[in-house]
Amino acid sequence: MDGKGWERVRMARLGGSSASRGREAAQLRQVSSQTVRLGRVQPQAPSHRTIYCNDREANLLARFKVCGHIIYGVSIPRICWHLSYFFCKILIYLVALLLFQVNSVSTTKYNILTFLPKGLFEQFRRVANLYFLMISILSTTPISPVSPVTNVVPLSLVLLVSLIKEAFEDWKRFQNDIAINSTPVDVLQGENWETVSWRKLQVGDIIRTANLDGETNLKIRKALERTWDYVFPEKASEFKGEIQCEQPNNSLYTFTGNLIVENQTLPLSPNQILLRGCSLRNTVHIVGAVIFTGHETKVMMNSMSVPSKRSTLERKLDKLILTLFGGLFFMCLIGAIGSGVFINRKYYYLGLFEDVEQQFNPSNRFVVSILTMFTLITLYSTIIPISLYVSIEMIKFIQCAQFINKDLRMYHAETNTPALARTSNLNEELGQVEYIFSDKTGTLTRNLMEFFKCSIGGVSYGVGITEIERGQAQREGRALNEIQKSDTVVYEKGFNFDDDRIMRGAWRNERDPEIFKEFFRCLALCHTVLPEGDESPEKIVYQAASPDEAALVTAAKHFGFFFYRRTPTTVQLRESHVEKMGNIQDVSYEILNVLEFNSTRKRQSVVCRYPNGRLVLYCKGADNVIYERLAGTNQDIKRLTREHLEQFGSSGLRTLCLAYRDLTIDTYENWNEKFVQAKSSLRDREKKLDEVAEMIEKDLILIGSTAIEDKLQEGVPDCIDTLSRAGIKIWVLTGDKMETAINIAYACNLINNDMKQLIITSETDAIREAEEKGDPVEISRVIRDSVSHDLKRCLEEAQQDLHIFGQKLALVIDGKCLMYALDPSFRVDLLKLSLNCSSVVCCRVSPLQKAQVTSLVKKGARRITLSIGDGANDVSMIQAAHVGVGISGLEGMQAVMASDFAIAQFRFLKDLLLVHGRWSYIRLCKVITYFFYKNLTFTLTQFWFTFHTGFSGQRFYDDWFQSLYNVIFTALPVIILGLFDKDVSASLAKKYPQLYKEGIRNTYFKWAVVGVWAFFAFYQSLIFYYFTTTASENGHNSSGKIFGLWDVSTMAFTCVVITVNLRLLMACNSITRWHHLSISGSILAWFVFIFIYSGVMTPNDRQENVYFTIYVLMSTFYFYLTLLLVPIVALFGDFLYLGLQRWFFPYNYQIVQEIHRDEVDSISRTEFLEIGNHLTPDEARSYAIAQLPREKSKHTGFAFDSPGYESFFASQAGVYVPQKAWDVARRASVRSSKRTSQR
Amino acid sequence: MQNANGSTAGSSSASGEASAPLRNSKRPKYSRFTQQELPACKPILTPRWVISVFTLIGIIFVPIGLAALAASNKVVEIVYRYDDDCVPPNMVNMKVAYIQNDTIDKTCTKTLKVPKHMSQPIYVYYQLDNFYQNHRRYVKSRNDAQLRKASEANETSGCDPERTANGAPIVPCGLIAWSLFNDTYSFAIRNRNLTVNKKDISWKSDRDHKFGKDVYPRNFQNSTLRGGAKLNLTKPLSEQEDLIVWMRTAALPTFRKLYGRIEQDLVINDAITVQLQNNYNTYSFSGKKTLVLSTSSWIGGKNDFLGIAYLTVGGLCFFLAVAFTIVYLVKPRKLGDPSYLSWNRNPAGH
Repeated sequence: MDGKGWERVRMARLGGSSASRGREAAQLRQVSSQTVRLGRVQPQAPSHRTIYCNDREANLLARFKVCGHIIYGVSIPRICWHLSYFFCKILIYLVALLLFQVNSVSTTKYNILTFLPKGLFEQFRRVANLYFLMISILSTTPISPVSPVTNVVPLSLVLLVSLIKEAFEDWKRFQNDIAINSTPVDVLQGENWETVSWRKLQVGDIIRTANLDGETNLKIRKALERTWDYVFPEKASEFKGEIQCEQPNNSLYTFTGNLIVENQTLPLSPNQILLRGCSLRNTVHIVGAVIFTGHETKVMMNSMSVPSKRSTLERKLDKLILTLFGGLFFMCLIGAIGSGVFINRKYYYLGLFEDVEQQFNPSNRFVVSILTMFTLITLYSTIIPISLYVSIEMIKFIQCAQFINKDLRMYHAETNTPALARTSNLNEELGQVEYIFSDKTGTLTRNLMEFFKCSIGGVSYGVGITEIERGQAQREGRALNEIQKSDTVVYEKGFNFDDDRIMRGAWRNERDPEIFKEFFRCLALCHTVLPEGDESPEKIVYQAASPDEAALVTAAKHFGFFFYRRTPTTVQLRESHVEKMGNIQDVSYEILNVLEFNSTRKRQSVVCRYPNGRLVLYCKGADNVIYERLAGTNQDIKRLTREHLEQFGSSGLRTLCLAYRDLTIDTYENWNEKFVQAKSSLRDREKKLDEVAEMIEKDLILIGSTAIEDKLQEGVPDCIDTLSRAGIKIWVLTGDKMETAINIAYACNLINNDMKQLIITSETDAIREAEEKGDPVEISRVIRDSVSHDLKRCLEEAQQDLHIFGQKLALVIDGKCLMYALDPSFRVDLLKLSLNCSSVVCCRVSPLQKAQVTSLVKKGARRITLSIGDGANDVSMIQAAHVGVGISGLEGMQAVMASDFAIAQFRFLKDLLLVHGRWSYIRLCKVITYFFYKNLTFTLTQFWFTFHTGFSGQRFYDDWFQSLYNVIFTALPVIILGLFDKDVSASLAKKYPQLYKEGIRNTYFKWAVVGVWAFFAFYQSLIFYYFTTTASENGHNSSGKIFGLWDVSTMAFTCVVITVNLRLLMACNSITRWHHLSISGSILAWFVFIFIYSGVMTPNDRQENVYFTIYVLMSTFYFYLTLLLVPIVALFGDFLYLGLQRWFFPYNYQIVQEIHRDEVDSISRTEFLEIGNHLTPDEARSYAIAQLPREKSKHTGFAFDSPGYESFFASQAGVYVPQKAWDVARRASVRSSKRTSQR
Repeated sequence: MQNANGSTAGSSSASGEASAPLRNSKRPKYSRFTQQELPACKPILTPRWVISVFTLIGIIFVPIGLAALAASNKVVEIVYRYDDDCVPPNMVNMKVAYIQNDTIDKTCTKTLKVPKHMSQPIYVYYQLDNFYQNHRRYVKSRNDAQLRKASEANETSGCDPERTANGAPIVPCGLIAWSLFNDTYSFAIRNRNLTVNKKDISWKSDRDHKFGKDVYPRNFQNSTLRGGAKLNLTKPLSEQEDLIVWMRTAALPTFRKLYGRIEQDLVINDAITVQLQNNYNTYSFSGKKTLVLSTSSWIGGKNDFLGIAYLTVGGLCFFLAVAFTIVYLVKPRKLGDPSYLSWNRNPAGH
């Protein structure tokens, strides 16, 4: 290793301190040969790092020096795992240094060396396992009545199963890693591209790739002009440069760095960064330098933490286990006291001489009691169901992997997305959800914006009828005369408009064609859309910051103003309006300025010069903003347009106002000077730009307005209706305006006319007045008072309406009021009020408020909550809720990455909750209560025996019986139950959503239910013990011979195994052949075991207690008579209970079962096969749309808001705008406050 | 990176041709298992089923109960508790001293009357009460290896506190063997001795496999404290059937053990003279000793329990079947009546 690299590293780190540079470097040169030792490297965290492009050696050292800890801590074990190098440590270090495969990513939890210790450690973090470990240790001591095998065998089996599961999961992750790590990529080696596997990439490499897979947001990325030439290997190999960049972090939207080429420092922004896992569009390949590798990539740093949640049922289970511990203690205490009382020298045959061991020493009864306590704890350890946790885990795992992930009902053919359970421990939580918090855009609505209507020059156009209008009409019972759409109607993504008056050039015949031209030109010119692909109307693809914008440009295209090319200074349109039909003319408009959208402006303008020299400013924006800036003329159009805006708004359409202004050259020149000044100012640039824009965006002339339909997702109203019938309350948390939100709520059945609306809004006169004054203290006081007053009023009304009139309530609250209502002093009122409402709409809320509302209900009301959303702004809400559901299949992984379950459509919630959740819940409740029962029954038989053994803690059963009871003889059927039990079919579960309420009320895992099981466990154990022992007295066949202890216990155990397995069968609602197999298999397993076990003598030190017992037993009638009698008597109680319960107090599901008892499951195989195979025409259209290249990220809420855009245009203009910190929260909060208004 | 991987397929299929929507599909494959559509029978516990099951149990159980009870009733049993009777009147208050005094002759002669005709074989049992053969310290105080093989004579682990005596291992070791029951009975009828056959009173499996044919008692009952019976040092353990019977420890503190067989019919009102050697000390822990003479039937000795249990359960089932039938006829519940659904019963609330 030469010193050259070192020097450069040091240089880079020291930065500009040139004075000391030379000396330092010299020093370094001297020591470098010695200091390059592994042990001496100190982990350091400098504020930035330097990467040398195309210089492996230098980077190797840089990395080594700067990130020594990473090499040590993470990479080496991983390398040894991946490549299976099982050399000694030093060799591994050498290998690491030589090969330096730092881009390999490992998502595995273990490697071959750490698997056992780490895996075992994980296992023993569970209380049950730790408890059994302690019991196992205890059972090696003489105070134990049982041999260690009793507890060691089940414990090891349980551990084995858990470890196999862990290993399996880790293996899958490992396979995945390998697949990713071995993706081929071309690396520049010398002057050639060499294909190497992905994992061999290292920092600084120049790569050419066409296959960076992953995130599907289409983002514009552009290389710096300076580096545009380096595309060919000959050229690229010449490239030498340094990149100084930030340390690895997880912020996906920020990047700061500089590229230093030939002493020229070029700033790097996120625009130049390709994240790991991006796919390329519109280009075949790219050439780039690797900046972060492996686990340091932003994507990997993001994907590391999956929130871990525990289900409510499991927490309740902990309580049950705790109760069992209590019971155990109680039983042991009784036994311990008994033993102290019992022990006495008079039982001389027990050999209690003077020197007897402490446990049986009658002279010290207290010690006897204490020691017996421990004895009994070991003996009764079976009361804690050791295999419960592992069984539950297995059941849930299979439920997720096989049932949820593979459910065809939840497969979305259009986006080719099946459901995905990302965590396997929340299945049953899905069966108890009472509150759903839903995002609106992308979740309830499609975020598919279609140009639907417009108002031009005071006339409304567009014949379509929205879902909302249809719904309204339906509610009001009036008929809509739907106009049959003409056959030639054009369908395109983003355009769903038809009106013969203006389509196909007919607008030329309208009263004032000029205003139409302005309208269409405004649509075609005032935007930031980029055209892509072939420049023909059919093939062009618009890349827009938001679907709204694309829809508007698409609309212009259909009206004959086809925007086909954008250059840095011009926009070119192909206009087909001119004078005669069919005459097409390409016009190039010079775009002089772009006044971009931002949240305060709520509008966007362009200044453009017509070829004929006309200067026009086109502006589009929110209605109130535009209206403020209109010239005082033409009141008619203003009035009519406002009416139309209101109409559009109430139909649930999103509106924009369009306006223009002719500029004189002087005005423009004057203004432009200021604009250029502002644009190049270094401080407060944004503010200054806004101010300058204000100067020219005035005296506008209103052209008209557009109305875009935000389409509801398929099946949303039906799904919401079903869910609310299931007793689930749905809250919509949206950033929209109140009117929009209420409209959407109406459209999707969340609010209807039968409901009373309680509205808490900040849009009151008092608040507005205060806001105009602008005193923040005053504003907050006024809002606070108003919120407080509103809350009280609503609460009173709610109490009255709900309890006296039984009316359903809907609460609508806006973000500003919510901010105050979430204040601790009002929180209780808010909670009380909202819990009384069947639906709640929160509008204009920020992501943080979404999370706050969620946790208010989660913690305050202690109800199970579910959050569903699709965007980054829903992440906090998804994480805050008990269950987080992400909408997958479209763009954006953020919500999915944070979620516990990912589904493609909101309507699949119905299946996820009512079918999978409900089944999971019922199954797990059964599994848990059954485990509880079977172990209690078994242990209680022991307990009764203790009373007859002088409380000595003698075991009733053979060691192996006891140890295999849980893991062999009763293990499988309960898992089968947990997988296959089905009270009602999937279609019935959805047909009778009310059945879901049983889960919300936790009907199947209440203490009463546990109590019933406990009672029957008690009863059965008495039957087992007393029936078998009482019947065993005296001789049992004509030979007059007498049974011993082990004969009786074998008999009792046989009865227990049979009964417990049959009891399971009685608990089943549907019995498949798996049930038969597993139950008869378990019973058979017992018999096979006992035949073998009691039939052989083994040489090792085993007490031959049960030798031949089963054969002795089977030679008597006692065996057969008892075998028939005891299970039937034991189950008699349960049977009677079940019969009476069903007869006189039937559960709802039982009635449903009875109603449909003669029906075969309605869903047949063929129906299933059709899912995803045949598309309806509608689906086909959506599918075709989905096939088109994807649009911009849907995280972006408002039409013009995109982090990339500003900079893109700026850099086009040659101005570098530093990227702002644009984290998820801010981004999302911006979104919520930027909506088009409708007024 | 699972997700990144996942979206690869997604994006590649999305960019594929529209005519091939099913290629590269992530559509789950249909299987009855994953769609949870496995064929299943769905039993519904209707009143009719309840009634028929109860009837069926009744039909099966009552005859069995009757048969078992009849069999049990056929068994003739003479039960005679002798622990108190065999203590001389002058020592009633010092029973322990009496039993522990080796100098006193413990012979005790009593006469029993045969209540019914008893056909052979008549089993002779002794029954002990309040004797905890199942006490933990007692149960484990034996060594099976030693009992089985002569070569394991020194193997006395687990036999505490009766492992060794005078420095040598005891065969058979342990408390169980040490406390071997040592009362003896001999019977005479009309002054003619009744032979008590003590062969084949233990389970064959015990004799053949658990007690070795070449294992002889050694150093047994040689310690200062004598527990119970001595063994014949010349007979291998596999032939010491009293020991074998004794060492099959009882499940409960009250138990019977087979003493022998009288292979001769006893006629009603015969007077049997029993000569007891009342050696065994149950007095210190107030245990009872009982002598039992019993015939047997197919069901074994006298035990009404099974018969009564069967009859009771069968009877109960019949009763319930009848009761439910009446309820069913008087106030039938219509199966699958939607009005039973909770939301139909109380539409407003839950």
